[in-house]
Amino acid sequence: MIRKEAVSIVAKKIGKQYIISANGFISRDLFDTCDRNSNFYMIGSMGLSSSIGLGLALKNPKKRFFIFDGDGNILMNLGSLVTTAATKPKNLIHVVFDNSSHESTGGQPTISKKIHIDSLAKTLKYKTYKATTKVELVKILDKIKKMKGPILILIKISKSKTTSKRIDINAVKIKQRFMKSLKNNT
Amino acid sequence: MKELTQKQIFDYLFNNGIENFVGVPDSTMKYFIERGFKKNKILITTKEEESIGIAAGMSMSASNSLVFMQNAGFANSLSTITSLVQLYKIPMIFLIGWRGFLKNDAPEHTKIGKIQPKLLQALSLQSKILNEKNWRTSCDWALGLIKKGKPCALILIRDFID
Repeated sequence: MIRKEAVSIVAKKIGKQYIISANGFISRDLFDTCDRNSNFYMIGSMGLSSSIGLGLALKNPKKRFFIFDGDGNILMNLGSLVTTAATKPKNLIHVVFDNSSHESTGGQPTISKKIHIDSLAKTLKYKTYKATTKVELVKILDKIKKMKGPILILIKISKSKTTSKRIDINAVKIKQRFMKSLKNNT
Repeated sequence: MKELTQKQIFDYLFNNGIENFVGVPDSTMKYFIERGFKKNKILITTKEEESIGIAAGMSMSASNSLVFMQNAGFANSLSTITSLVQLYKIPMIFLIGWRGFLKNDAPEHTKIGKIQPKLLQALSLQSKILNEKNWRTSCDWALGLIKKGKPCALILIRDFID
């Protein structure tokens, strides 16, 4: 499974839920395959999608927030896992697309082959799942539908040369339409 | 700054619409944070950038946020301020403790303390330095700016050596 396939499967399967997607290729894949007003695409500030998602989850306990993250991204902000574990948001689902590389910057390796992100989350008492195939991924998404978080789903993906188009909405517009969808859907 | 004033500043901001106080502690604002803990309104994170991310999520939920930190942490956060707070125009108040303001402060604060005003200027982040007399009008100024959707900074000088 390549990242674009995995991103598309999760986004389509969860329906109209809020997604905060990490900068780089993950946001581009999401924009290309399943653009919605309820997607918050990050352009810069690598590592912070999980923190933004936590702030949203804490303030909107009746809505569910999916964080689309990469292995490089979460490794850059591991503290976020700790803070999330301590605040225990029931409505936060952290999805990590793990190809053990910084693909957006040229495919340099991350250490996620040696240090397993799902094991870290498990230690912190996240409900933790790992998918390596599409079938497994769909099963997990069915399973967590009504489950209380924090949940972390690690999806092992393979590297690929497929790149999605750039996000052509400016940052302020991304924020405005996201906030509007948050306000209208009370 | 005096203990009482710091506590008054917390109460004033809290009573005027700031709902979230997220940050990394600094001894310069010890009493401010202490007051926040009493009101159960403080969230401490592992790093300043994490605080800013969380505050951004809260602000986008129409819940006003303040991020507190030492100026060393502010320096850590420069790229997060430019590429998240300023790029997306997300309002929040930064409360920054200014170490290295006094010439005889600890050596690790000397350089960063010296360039602190230049960093704010380089970012074009509007700021005011709080003191015993002006704190109320400075807080009003900051509250007014975030109502208009603009981030800004309030600076607390480290005026003692321990």
